[in-house]
Formats: sequence, C-alpha cells, structure tokens
Amino acid sequence: MSRAWERCVPVFDIPILTRPFVALCTLGAVACGLVLYREAAGLGAASGMNDAYAWGIWKTFNIMALTGLGSGGFSIGIATWLFGRRSLHSVMRTAVLSSFLIYASGLMLLGIDVGRPWNFLWILAPWRWNVHSPMLEVGFCMPLYTAVPLFLEATPPVLEWIHSRWPELESTAEMAESLLKRIYPWVLGLAFLLPAMHQSSLGALMLLAGNQVHPLWQTPWLPLLYVWAASFMGFAFVSVVLMVCHLVWNRSLDEDVLREMSRITAWLIATWLIFRFADLAMRGRLHLAVQISAPSALFWMEILLLLSAALMLAVASKRHNVRLAFQGSILAALGGLMYRFDPTTLAFQPRAGAFYFPTFIELLIDIGFLSLTVATFSLLAKVLPILPASTRLWRAMESARWNKSVLHPQQAEYTHYAAAD
Amino acid sequence: MEITRRHLLGSMAKGAATVFAAGGVSSVALADESRAKEKQEASQTAIAMLYDATLCVGCQSCVSACAQANNLTPDKRLDTLHQSPRDLSDTTKNVVKLYKPADGTPYSYIKQQCMHCVDPACAAACLFKALKKETGTGIVTWNPGLCVGCRYCQIVCSYHIPKFQWRGVNPRIVKCEFCKERLARGDDPACTSVCPTHAVVFGKRTSLLAEAKLRIAKSPGKYYEERVFGEREGGGTQVLYLTKASFEKLGLPKLGNEPIPAKYLKWQKRMYSYLLIPAALYAVIVSITRKSWNRHEEHLKEEEKATGLRPQL
Repeated sequence: MSRAWERCVPVFDIPILTRPFVALCTLGAVACGLVLYREAAGLGAASGMNDAYAWGIWKTFNIMALTGLGSGGFSIGIATWLFGRRSLHSVMRTAVLSSFLIYASGLMLLGIDVGRPWNFLWILAPWRWNVHSPMLEVGFCMPLYTAVPLFLEATPPVLEWIHSRWPELESTAEMAESLLKRIYPWVLGLAFLLPAMHQSSLGALMLLAGNQVHPLWQTPWLPLLYVWAASFMGFAFVSVVLMVCHLVWNRSLDEDVLREMSRITAWLIATWLIFRFADLAMRGRLHLAVQISAPSALFWMEILLLLSAALMLAVASKRHNVRLAFQGSILAALGGLMYRFDPTTLAFQPRAGAFYFPTFIELLIDIGFLSLTVATFSLLAKVLPILPASTRLWRAMESARWNKSVLHPQQAEYTHYAAAD
Repeated sequence: MEITRRHLLGSMAKGAATVFAAGGVSSVALADESRAKEKQEASQTAIAMLYDATLCVGCQSCVSACAQANNLTPDKRLDTLHQSPRDLSDTTKNVVKLYKPADGTPYSYIKQQCMHCVDPACAAACLFKALKKETGTGIVTWNPGLCVGCRYCQIVCSYHIPKFQWRGVNPRIVKCEFCKERLARGDDPACTSVCPTHAVVFGKRTSLLAEAKLRIAKSPGKYYEERVFGEREGGGTQVLYLTKASFEKLGLPKLGNEPIPAKYLKWQKRMYSYLLIPAALYAVIVSITRKSWNRHEEHLKEEEKATGLRPQL
C-alpha cells in the first residue's frame, strides 16, 4: 500500500472540539485577560524586565528564538523551489501554516511588549526611518513578510476549501486562484528574500550591544549564523510537527520525504557547526570555550545538542529510522532555540548584579499565546487540506462525506480509513 | 519543460554574478561616502561637560538641581529626608556615587549622566530617530512623538544611561538631555551651574578638552593614566572625565576607540545601501522561481490527468 504523500488532506475523521483543544483555548483566554492587565498596569507590574535586562522573553524567546522554528516556509521553500527538491512540495503547506502562526503570535507579543505602540504608525512614513537600524529592518520586514508573502502562500488551501464548500462562491474562488497563480513566482521571491533579511537582522540586533554579549557569541558573523540557524530550525521543526500530527491523528508517514528532510537538516547543522568553530578560531576566542565557566557550559550545551542532532539525523536518514529522525529533529530545534536565545539573555551581561527572570504573568501570557498557536493549527489542519497524505485517503474522505450526506445523515462517527493504509 | 541540473546551476551562476556585480558597484560607489560616515567626528560647535573627580566633594547639589530643572520626583528611597538616589533611574537623570576601595586607597566620587557620545549607539539603534544627535550642539535628545518604547537603546548603551518608565500607560525614556530648555534660554545646564567647587564645568568641547589636558600637564602623576576619559573612548564623548582612581573602577567601561555603530554595523550598512544587493538577490530568486513554477504547473496537469482530482497549488 502506498504511503507516499501525494496530496494534502484535512484531518476529517477527528472532531474539532476535543478536550486538549478546549484546554488550549482556555489558556489563550487567560492570556488575553492578562494582556489587559499589562496594558493598564504597565510593563513593570506585569513583567520581570528592568533597566538592565530591558528585553524579556516576549522578545528574546518568541521573536529572537522561536521565529527560527517558524522558518520552515523559508528554508523548506528554498529547497523546494530554488533547489528543485520536488518531494518536499508535499510538506510546504504544513511549513507555511506553522511559520505563519509562529510569526503572527510573535508579532502580537511584540505589540504587547513595546511601551508606546501608537508611534509604530511611523513605519508608514519613510522619511522618519533610521535606515541603518537593524531594529527598523526587523520592524518593517517581519510584519511585511507575515502579511504579504506568507499570507498569500497560505491562501490556496482556504480557496480550495471555499471552492468545495460553497458552490455559489466557486467562480470567485477560481478567479482568486488564477490571480494567485499569476503572481506566485514573485510572491515566492519575497517569501525567500524577506526572511533572509530579517532573520539575519535579528542577529545584527545584538551586534550593537557590543561587548555586553559574551565573546563566545558576539561576532561580526552573528547575522549569518542567525539566518543559517533559522534554516535548519525550520526543517527540524516541520519534521517534528509532521511526525507529531501524524502520530496523534493516526496517519501514515512518508519515510522518503522525512529522510530527505533529515539529510538536509544534518548537512545544514554540520556546516553551521564548522562555521561557528572556524569563526571562534579566527577571532582567537576558542580558549574561552575550554575554560570552566557558566558561558562555556552554555556554549557546550548548544554544541552538544546540535552535534548529536546532526549525527542522529545523518544516521536516521541512512538507516530509515523514523524514531531517530524524530529525536534528532527535536534536539536540532532545541539547540537552535538555545543558540538564538543565549546572546540576548543568558550570555548577555549588561553589568554585575543585573538579574532577569520572567514573572508568572509574563510566562502565562507567553504560554497562552503559544497555546492559541497550537489550537489554531489543529483547527485549521482539521478543516483545510494542510497535512500531506495519500490520494487514497483523499478518496476515503470524499466517500465518507458522501455517505454522511446521502446515506446516513445522522451518522456522526466516521470509519477510520487511515489505519487501512 | 524540464529543467536540468545544469540549466538550474547556470541560471544560479548568472544570478550570483549579478549580485556580486551589484555589490561591487555599490561598495565602490559608497566607499567614499561610507568612509566619511563610518567615523563621526565631534563638531567644532559641540558643547561638553568636564567633570574632575579630584575636585568633587560629593555634596549632591548637582543631583537635586538636575531633578528640579527637569521636574523629576526626588528619589528619597534611601533617606526619607534627603534626595539620595542610588543610581540613575526613571526619576534620576544625574547621580553622584562614592567609590571607596577596600584597600584603603583614597576614595573618589563619580558623576553619571548621559555621555552624549560623538557617535551614539542609541541613536544608531533607534527605529524612527526618536533618539537623535542634534547638529551643532551634539546633544542626544529624545522625542516622545517618535519613540515606540522598544527599549533597544537600553540594550545597546555601553554606559547604561537610558532608563524606561516601567509604570503607567504612557512610558517615557528618561535620560540627561543637557538641559536643552535651559540652554535655549541662555542658561548653563543645572548641574554645572550649581557646583560649588567647579568640579563639573560647562563649555565648548574643544576648549574643555584643552583645559583638561592643561590640568594634566600642570600636575604630572595626579590623574589616572595621564589622560582624559571621553576624548577617544568609543569614538569620543561630550562628557569628559579626569579622575585619580582607575576609570574601570569608577564604572567607566573599557571600550576601545572605535565607535560601536561604525565597528559593528559596517557590513549591515553596506549590505543594505540603497537596497541594491537585496534587489539583485530578488531578481535572481524570481528568475529561478518562475522556471520552477512553470515546471510545477506542468506537473499539476499531469497529476490531474492521472488522478482525475482537482490539482492542489
């Protein structure tokens, strides 16, 4: 029986309202309430931020680190469209949707984090721009990427859904689709250019902090290392998302596609590691890594996570081992997160005695927004054709719908077809 | 249409050549401009403060004068009777601290406020130029109408000067702005006008630098390293220090002589100058995506023929 991912199929055989879904939405609602408190009481009352550690986890984790995991649309897209890896086309919808949701939630947290958000309207006034500020590049490029190329890349499943559900909107959906087809190559161009710009600018943000960032991290190559890390983090995260979804919703995995992803991730990490050590050696900072100190321990944790991830993924792709690929991808995602988070907080030393730890409210808001991200993903994966599957499953879905509507209008439960695959 | 690997590599090579050409042109065209811009020099009209720690008696007159001139709530957290801020904060733009070494060597006071760097990292970092170096005087000012409250200035300032109001719905960045309103009225800054021992004085940067060097020459061995802090540190500052104790012990960081924006943003500036490189890169990417899109459409048609299902984009 074919297990190949040929077509994206909604998770049609699982109800939307499950207990975990309700729990995630509740956490999201709590977070929204706490956001009102933060807006009324000020940042100091809601968060652990202070004048020395002026950035908290909303920026340092959700923007600086987590958007790396949200770079699947960027890095898998490049492999698919620029390097002709056709087999990866099947996972693009998962990549694009996860990227869109992570970026959107990060940008919302950024809106909560800034103190004078009304002045952000100056982004529409180019004569006000400080064109050389990496912060301007991020502030302009990240919302633009989310709102235009990433949004447009994510619309085809919605148009298909409208097309299949509302016969009266059929011609409108088709018109939108043909328009989208015409501009798609240009949209894709932006979808690769803009993340390359802002993901590297995230690294450039920390350049201006100068020697407050520990020399094991502070390097003129920080922008390149950041965007490179984003590329393997995107691959690793989309692998994890696919494997978790297919495990939870009981669908079959296309091992060839996963192997291809593992192989590329392993190569990206290996070259990144070599580059990082070469940079340290060239700057003459390798001796800092062999000292016994907190920063060097942190450094080796990152290196060990990524090194073991690269090895596990390489072996997994050679030996067709899905379990190992899953573990390796998780380690790669964690290692990437750590690398991108450390220069902003743990390896950022503004001055002696400075301390930051997120407050309970800050954490709850963060967890709430992440919960909403997961809930939205699961909702959309059940409604829209996002997750890849076989053509056979698509036909099973169509006949189940037909049965339900024509033969058994009262039948609520579907037969599980995926298991027969 | 089938795209062979050679075809793809060929078009990528062409694209790469375009990018390098564009990069080359832009870096040649901008070489002069960027060389001039990368190193900021203090202007002849730049104003300054000279603080001589050997003259300071720690009376804190300047601290309360500053709070009064800037309408700041007196910080009485340490002492309910007197204004005695421990550090710079959202209610303190100027502070005098005591450095008392454990080894019994002579103690020293140190005054802290914005250094008004010649090439300030905060202004280089600021999104909409809310923090801006004024031409002429060289004061680094803050504009509430442009500040987004992102606090990037706090991350990048090596002297930890900008402070944020963590309370309230309209938080501001608080830092010394050289009493710009008083200067506009023709008065001296509050701190320099009240100092009883003239430990801190106000004037043109060029003349105060000459004055500081004169003091060093007059008393050999008196001042730390026989030099003025702020002449060249981080590209130079408009607050100059003469001290007996070491600069680092007094909280004046070791920065090197190159300004941080010039040192770290050099490549960032080149990459984005006139958006030439991003535009060239975009042209290359689109030339490839257009080809692979055509191939994709062919593939979709084949798939539709094989399965009879509506193709997915």
